[in-house]
Amino acid sequence: MSEIAERAVQNFRRRDARDKLMGRTRYTIDRGTAGMLHAALLRSEVPSGRILRLDTTAAACMPGVRAIVTAADAPGRAGLGIADHPLFAIDTVRYCGEPIAAVAADSERQARDALAAIEVEIAPLPAVLDMGSALADAAPLVHPGWESYEVLTPGGMRGGNVAWEASVDRGDIDAAFARNDVTVVESSFRVGRQNHLSFEPRAVLAHFEDGRYHIETSTQVPWTVRNTVAALLAVPASSIRVTVPPVGGGFGLKFDCALEPFAALLARMSGRPVRLVNSREEEMTTCLFRENAEICIRSAITPEGSIAGREAVVLMDCGAYGGEQVFLTTMTAHTLGGNYRLGAVRIVSRAVYTNTAPNGAFRACNGVYNTFALERHTDEIAAAIGMAPGEFRRRNVIGDGDLGATGQVFEGDVLAPMLAKMEALRERTPASLPGDGRLYGRATTVGTWFVFTGPSAATVNMNADGTATLVTSGVEIGSGSMMQALPQIVAATLGLSPDKVVVRAADTDAAGYDVGVGGGRTTVSLGAASRSAAIEVRTKLLKVASDMLEASAEDLVMEDGRIDIAGARGSGVTIAEVAARAQALLGPVAGTGSFTGAGTPAMEGCCAGHFIEALDIPVFAVHDCDVAVDPGTGHVEVLRYRVVQDVGRALNPSAIHGQIQGGVVQGLGYALHEEADVGRNGAIRQTSFETYRVPLAGDVVPVEIELHEGAPSIGPLGTKGAGEVPILNVGATIACAVAHATGKQIRELPLTPPRVLELLLDRAQAPDFPHIGSRHSDNRLATGTIA
Amino acid sequence: MTIRLTVNGEERDIAAAPMTPLVDVLRDTLHLTGAKPVCREGFCGACMVLVDAVPTVSCLTPLVLAQGRDVETVEGLTSADSPMPVQAALEEHDAVQCGMCFPGMVVTLTHLTTAGRCEPSREAVKAGLVGNVCRCTGYERIVDAALAVMEDRP
Repeated sequence: MSEIAERAVQNFRRRDARDKLMGRTRYTIDRGTAGMLHAALLRSEVPSGRILRLDTTAAACMPGVRAIVTAADAPGRAGLGIADHPLFAIDTVRYCGEPIAAVAADSERQARDALAAIEVEIAPLPAVLDMGSALADAAPLVHPGWESYEVLTPGGMRGGNVAWEASVDRGDIDAAFARNDVTVVESSFRVGRQNHLSFEPRAVLAHFEDGRYHIETSTQVPWTVRNTVAALLAVPASSIRVTVPPVGGGFGLKFDCALEPFAALLARMSGRPVRLVNSREEEMTTCLFRENAEICIRSAITPEGSIAGREAVVLMDCGAYGGEQVFLTTMTAHTLGGNYRLGAVRIVSRAVYTNTAPNGAFRACNGVYNTFALERHTDEIAAAIGMAPGEFRRRNVIGDGDLGATGQVFEGDVLAPMLAKMEALRERTPASLPGDGRLYGRATTVGTWFVFTGPSAATVNMNADGTATLVTSGVEIGSGSMMQALPQIVAATLGLSPDKVVVRAADTDAAGYDVGVGGGRTTVSLGAASRSAAIEVRTKLLKVASDMLEASAEDLVMEDGRIDIAGARGSGVTIAEVAARAQALLGPVAGTGSFTGAGTPAMEGCCAGHFIEALDIPVFAVHDCDVAVDPGTGHVEVLRYRVVQDVGRALNPSAIHGQIQGGVVQGLGYALHEEADVGRNGAIRQTSFETYRVPLAGDVVPVEIELHEGAPSIGPLGTKGAGEVPILNVGATIACAVAHATGKQIRELPLTPPRVLELLLDRAQAPDFPHIGSRHSDNRLATGTIA
Repeated sequence: MTIRLTVNGEERDIAAAPMTPLVDVLRDTLHLTGAKPVCREGFCGACMVLVDAVPTVSCLTPLVLAQGRDVETVEGLTSADSPMPVQAALEEHDAVQCGMCFPGMVVTLTHLTTAGRCEPSREAVKAGLVGNVCRCTGYERIVDAALAVMEDRP
């Protein structure tokens, strides 16, 4: 095991790099086929309204038009937790951009022209465009029929515009706050939406062949697409095959079904292949954003500086449909409730319906803003009790045997040694402060994230030429896990070099169920399934080799493409020879493997409405930075950025460093200038690259990185997910450093120059949330509400 | 209307409306899908091509403005299978992630790393990349690769 793990570690280069550099890679947007039609969607231009009339007769007569579909053709509803989302608006539109009809025509131009000929009459209804309006007394309901929806996962409280509520109650919180020796610190925070801006938009090419749908799509979740299309079209899931070409960026945007059902439906109706690609404007305005959120947090701190009690309310805007936010209410307990030992804890996390474009998953979903809130709150606590922030963290970070918010028992001291490593890293990489009149600040923050484990399947076929083929439903979205970690794991297990392992692109007809590529799970879940499939192959090969070599299997080693008797290199045969022999004697050698979570327990009875009560694999991060703030312009420059990341075991350090650099830069965008918001007309205001500013080369710095290895993990060979977490505490770290530089409280991100100037001029308004009650119980649905 | 231009060394006659974006002609008519139409407004640089050796965003270039000119796409920079120095350096520096920005990045860097074009410093290379956005990598390895090419230059 340990030699296999050591062998697995290498900076194996990704085999897809060359074609990507030469412009030869065919992403979904680059694909086409003979006879293909082009589709376009008619989308609502109002945020809330009743459809009085929808007439496609004239549009159907337009040149080139081959099929038009509407709600009448897609009877089902889908969702996560609750089936609240139809494919097309049925009678009611709930957000600007909601699909009303879809057209397929010979050219994209003809399809778009036909959209203009669809006659639609919508009577506007009052809209709730923000969470304050949605939670106000007598607010219009986004889903007046919410009680009638099918509940797919029981357990969450629901009511009115609260799509889902998850809560944690552990210990006697009232007693903690009632102590007369505690200092009570209270803070509130607000963040806007972040757009993934993946370069490849959501795109699909659908075929209807032999009575089945074949969907080629740019997705992270082929099995979710298969099952969701089936639910929406009311057809058997087995009638759908999903294959996935290389994906041009995901970041969570493609962790849900998107355009696939429209194209599938049109392909069936027209009998022709149908291509549907979002325009950049559609992509911007119906992005499944990282949600805007509002956070109130309150802590009771003992004179010794420990946290006797922590109470929080987190509101997450899910937009017009529950989607991922229903699930993500779960994560608040582990992110806002993470990092530190807590005496008692009481947290409520609510997904709130509004008449805005639905939000979704984005790299370290929920964790990014909750870590911002928690780490700012932590610095405020340290200031309130007169302790250095570093000292407060050293004393309170979660360690071996400590209880998490949901009562999970954490294993191993991880954050404390990481903080020590960060201190050393800081000393080795000092920032030079030019002394130019700017304000300088620094900060160190901690963060808790996890690996989204769950089911994965893999098959390894051992070929008689000494190569292996790995078949999974994994997708290469750019992180390299499918190109590096997976073949490395299989190759190390079989004693091959990773270039001898061919990885098949995702195909739901070829590989078993998989949750998808996201949540840091590729190397862990798909890796574990791949490893167990490879172990089965290894066992079979060793058995055949033991007969060939007349030696017991335990005395054999598999290495460098050979099986030899231990200690006698060259005594044996090549793996190709063994595989060929096995194939002739017994038939081709294959192995299958599967994996799911470990089911780590939480404390009985302390959480409600959670999809994940305890973390199978916690992942920790320590970030640190130095910033300079220009008092004249409010511009924040990042001078140095440092990361110590808990990776379990780094299988491909170069790939992980690449993920950290990229993730931190995406976080810098969120911290400093990326923000999408909803205008008064209910539409997203940032419709293009011109109005949504992402980091450019000149904005970034090289991140100083140290990987922390050896923390406990059930991942294969001790691995943890490494690609998602780098963005986790960037917003937090920048905010704490800017607060340190300016001496001002920071309650909102991003820290754009106008916002920083407001802070410096003491004109920044602290967020005020009249819809968040001062008593915690004001923010909870009564027990007995429909679950 | 037929418009004649040279694409990757071959003279082509294109029957399309004069205002058709060059990127659409390249991708849909000539099947050169290396250039990516990502933002379609000249900010991201993923559709960058060389027009008479000058990096040009093909999304904002109407076909008629390419008339009689020499257009070179990422596919035209290399012959057969061997990458050119910029591509080799990006591969060597393990810079690629999703890869969508790289065809444009490679075109820009090919121009930037020609002798005398850009001072071999991080600041200058970053300034030269102002028209090329990458959402995955955080840029630094791209800069490393460009500097490596410039420093190896005879």
